[in-house]
Amino acid sequence: MLKITGKGSVTTCDGVTRRDFLQVGVLGTIGLSLAKFAELQAMGAAAPGSDERSCIMIFNLGAPSQIDTFDMKPDAAAEIRGPFKPIRTNNPDIQICEMFPLHAKLADKFSLVRSCYHTAAAVHDTGHQMMQTGRLFTGGVNTPHAGCALEFLKGRRNELPAHVLLPMPMGPTGGNMPHGQDAGFLGKAYDPFVLNADPSVKNFQVPDLLPPKEIGEARLERRRELRDVVDDAVRDFEASPNASLMDTNFSSAYRLMTSTRARQAFDLTREPQKVRDRYGMTRFGQSCLLARRLIEAGVRFVTINTFITVFDEITWDIHGSKPFTSIAGMKEIVAPMYDQGYSALLEDLFQRGLLDKTMVACLSEFGRTPKVNSAGGRDHWPNCWTICFAGGGVKGGRVVGKSDDIGAYPVERPVNPPEVVATIFKSLGLDLETHLPGPQSRPFPLVDYGTQPIKELF
Amino acid sequence: MLRRTTRLLLGFAAICLVAAAECGAADAQKPVQWSFRNDVQPVLAKSGCNAGACHGAAAGQNGFKLSLRGYDNEGDYLALTRQAFGRRVNPTDPARSLMLLKPTTAVPHKGGKRFETNSIDYKILSEWIAEGAPPPRDSDPRIQKLEMFPESVLLEPGQGIKLTVRATFSDGGVKDVTHWAKFTAANATVTQVDDDGQVKVIGNGEGAITAWYLSRIAVATITAPFTNQVSPRLFSRAPRRNFIDDMALEKLRSLNIPPSPRCTDAEFVRRAFIDTIGVLPTEEETRRFLADKSKRKRDRLIETLLNRPEFVDYWSYKWSDLLLVSDKKLRPAAVWSYYDWIRGNVAANTPWDKFVRQVLTVTGDTLQNGAANFYILHDDPRTLSETASQAFLGMSIACAKCHNHPLEKWTNDQYYQMANLFARVRVKSGQRDGENIVFTVTDGDLVQPLRGKPQPPAPLDSPPLRMDSPEDRRIALANWLVSPDNPYFSRAIVNRIWANFFGVGLVEKVDDLRATNPASNEKLLSAAANYLAVHKFDLKSLMRAILQSETYQRSSKPLPENEADTRFYSRYYPRRLMAEVMLDAISRVTGVSTPFDRPDGSKFPAGWRAMQMPDVSADSYFLKTFGRPERATTCECERNADPSMTQVLDLSNGDTINKKLRARDCRISRWMQSSATPDQIIEHAYLSAFSRFPTKDERAKLAKIIQASPDRRAAVEDMYWAILSSKEFLFNH
Repeated sequence: MLKITGKGSVTTCDGVTRRDFLQVGVLGTIGLSLAKFAELQAMGAAAPGSDERSCIMIFNLGAPSQIDTFDMKPDAAAEIRGPFKPIRTNNPDIQICEMFPLHAKLADKFSLVRSCYHTAAAVHDTGHQMMQTGRLFTGGVNTPHAGCALEFLKGRRNELPAHVLLPMPMGPTGGNMPHGQDAGFLGKAYDPFVLNADPSVKNFQVPDLLPPKEIGEARLERRRELRDVVDDAVRDFEASPNASLMDTNFSSAYRLMTSTRARQAFDLTREPQKVRDRYGMTRFGQSCLLARRLIEAGVRFVTINTFITVFDEITWDIHGSKPFTSIAGMKEIVAPMYDQGYSALLEDLFQRGLLDKTMVACLSEFGRTPKVNSAGGRDHWPNCWTICFAGGGVKGGRVVGKSDDIGAYPVERPVNPPEVVATIFKSLGLDLETHLPGPQSRPFPLVDYGTQPIKELF
Repeated sequence: MLRRTTRLLLGFAAICLVAAAECGAADAQKPVQWSFRNDVQPVLAKSGCNAGACHGAAAGQNGFKLSLRGYDNEGDYLALTRQAFGRRVNPTDPARSLMLLKPTTAVPHKGGKRFETNSIDYKILSEWIAEGAPPPRDSDPRIQKLEMFPESVLLEPGQGIKLTVRATFSDGGVKDVTHWAKFTAANATVTQVDDDGQVKVIGNGEGAITAWYLSRIAVATITAPFTNQVSPRLFSRAPRRNFIDDMALEKLRSLNIPPSPRCTDAEFVRRAFIDTIGVLPTEEETRRFLADKSKRKRDRLIETLLNRPEFVDYWSYKWSDLLLVSDKKLRPAAVWSYYDWIRGNVAANTPWDKFVRQVLTVTGDTLQNGAANFYILHDDPRTLSETASQAFLGMSIACAKCHNHPLEKWTNDQYYQMANLFARVRVKSGQRDGENIVFTVTDGDLVQPLRGKPQPPAPLDSPPLRMDSPEDRRIALANWLVSPDNPYFSRAIVNRIWANFFGVGLVEKVDDLRATNPASNEKLLSAAANYLAVHKFDLKSLMRAILQSETYQRSSKPLPENEADTRFYSRYYPRRLMAEVMLDAISRVTGVSTPFDRPDGSKFPAGWRAMQMPDVSADSYFLKTFGRPERATTCECERNADPSMTQVLDLSNGDTINKKLRARDCRISRWMQSSATPDQIIEHAYLSAFSRFPTKDERAKLAKIIQASPDRRAAVEDMYWAILSSKEFLFNH
């Protein structure tokens, strides 16, 4: 059940006994009380041992221009087609922008959806909500991120959290709305484990994962010993679900802190420098590498925020003027970083035999205006953009949907955010008709009734 | 909790095939003509056509929109008979009507098959169409009563029972509507119910089944006593202090759950301090209480606690949570004015009805009369009426804003009658920063969108006021709301107070009072509500009754026979301290206070406790992580009591505890400088954190570990860490 299958990576036994695993992985699942779990099983929503599927969601905050990336319009007028040229890929049916030469070698592995659209306000935050939770937040109902719904439904596989968010949560993007990166109405117990650090910096470490410096292994062990003595008095608290959840959290946290598997998974220095360089020594590149390590170690869902904010950071948000990004900024900094990190991730997952089981979904909140603006940039455009899927059952080398001559609107197979999230759920093997416990105990469908995954991808 | 609603919706098919008798019964009941209102709509509702996930969605489904669960008869009738070029009903050839072809999947239907062509539902719809699809009429009989039989029943796990639902109409007609009722099990661990009202008992305890039909609700209670060998004398002999014990024991007896014995003095002193005033007793207070030989010492402690200054901090904070005192919409001066108003009333022990009346009917300057900020935080008649219902009646009426409440009796009309009571409140800005003036005018009404005109103002289920009356409508609202005759008002506050002391409300969630969500002990809730009303809404009188009751003073240690009980108060349920109380407790035990900064960089005075904050602006990773509410919406759900791994990592490795333990003014430094032995240090630590003496075994084991360490300070720090991160500390028990 918990076989790490990566080629070349040796799984050492770190003292997690089978009994421990059963407790943590199946029943002691964080935040999932026995009653809830039994209920889910009764509903068929949590078939035991049903899956090995995982997902890495790369969220391209800022929103890349479809026309300057994966849906080029070389025959359109100059103010539409922009400054870049298409190049051929290893798939005769797909041409992409010259900024992504490494992508071009992998066009048999990923598939593009060139007809994604949404109809909400053209601010970043709404797209973040919809693309990650499948819904726009309305009436005070904050729907859970896909990875949090997964964690709620399936729990964790081992001492590592089910859902990890890298490198930190989305910050301000202008709308002052929630971004849909937490568990919403499912409750904080299902929020992702947030790294809150830049994995590319020297001496990178997970905050609070390790005890303070002065607490060495001996003191840690003593603390545990002392706590066992102290807590022995209230052993019978276990009858209270909340107390046993606290217990579970303590043992999970302790296991996480002391787990060789977890420490090693988060320890990027264990990778040969050559591998680290292949991903790129950038925040994004190292997040991709960390994501691969975490999936390998048993994490079910990793969300990577390519960027954190659109203000004073060079991002995909190419309005062309300050504090946003210029086309040159995208060309020189953003695209090479992205090309390198993404292609390294895909290759690595493939070589390790993980790609079949791991969907890599590259999403963004919207596209950009077909017409280049007066600052030489492009503005927000939710009417049509391109997203990219690979692995986890997705057949590579396909193009789903089609935009019009200037990349302004879908002309074939329009795809909306609920369908995108349903596609992720399908890859993860979730029953789309499952219900979550919504606000005020109202049953809340995992996806709205009738929402279908993008079948053409599978 | 996951409801089985979907399965009910999606799994419906072919019921009448197996229930031929029912078809016969329905035939016998067949009126002269099928009525749209009373026959067609129930078919659409039971078949799930007008469910929220299907055509009842706000945007409809595939171009066909019905009102949610059929609250808008006229609109639905038009949608069925006039839209889609009339293809939905075809009176000349009923079988070719889309409303029959689709649900039988004779033509493709995204929603799948809803009924068979030989079902009673098909028969009703087709005959209604053949009769020319008569519209809803004003003269239609209206449903007056919905009943379910049996109303309550005693069963064992594995057993089942078939429920029957009966509707009575205004023309005297009585109909068996079991087939069209929608059933829901409120407690899925005890009972399951299927589409036909067939109940299966799957566990011990009590489970309510709700039936919904034509916007009416009926409830049946299924009791499955635990199979314990408990002598009846145990219940008759159990000590009783007041009515709470009588009724709690009656319930326990009916379920065959034995109560745990009384808690120890040490458990009581810690528990009562935390629940009543939100602080731990000091070491001194604990020693004094434990040494006190008087028989009446618990009663005396209760009186002391009810009159402590920290009582005012604690309950002001609670009511500030409820009233959303926050700097998000209020300027700092207004925050203080609102908070000080609340504090003043808590200090004066203002009766709850007067407190609420003042909030609702307030006028004037927000800086002079803090309660007026209620009308700054909520400035729309709809939000005001929703907030008032949620805060003071524990009732969410928001659903009825757009459609009849699916789980309650409230209709869209009643929603707009209620909201119209707030339509004449106005606000103008004052001279000073944060100053506003709240006043009322004598004209203006809120238009109900569905009808296109205002509803006469009326408190939910009372008679309307005259539209042209110039009086402040809010006075009529307050008269109705806080009246001892309004069961919701006293029940709502009783449930909040109860949940504060017992951790689990008689109704759960605490602010979700509705017919479809019955109390775990209805008699007890009614009695407590009555008690509070008789005591003129003096909250301290209710708190005293609770604190004095044997039910509150039970041990938290479960007996094998009551371990499974989580709703009937056979023992005290341990629960995590609320974020603010926990942080204050950590400060208290370590002797190192927590500095609180506002986001703008300004500081709260040194030494202030988290429970003394007027709002939730203090920047604190700890408080956020442990679930401090945002105070953005009136809902108990804002406060999150769930333990999480982030919390544990913070306790273990984060700054909160570790930094205090290392601090120079930490209590540990004092022990290091003194000649205290490890045993004495252990005793101090236990008394301050757990309000009890350590056992011999604990003393020995802990002292051994401490003495084994060459670095004494580090070892004592580690012991304090173990204590502060232990369940015995983090939980009230």
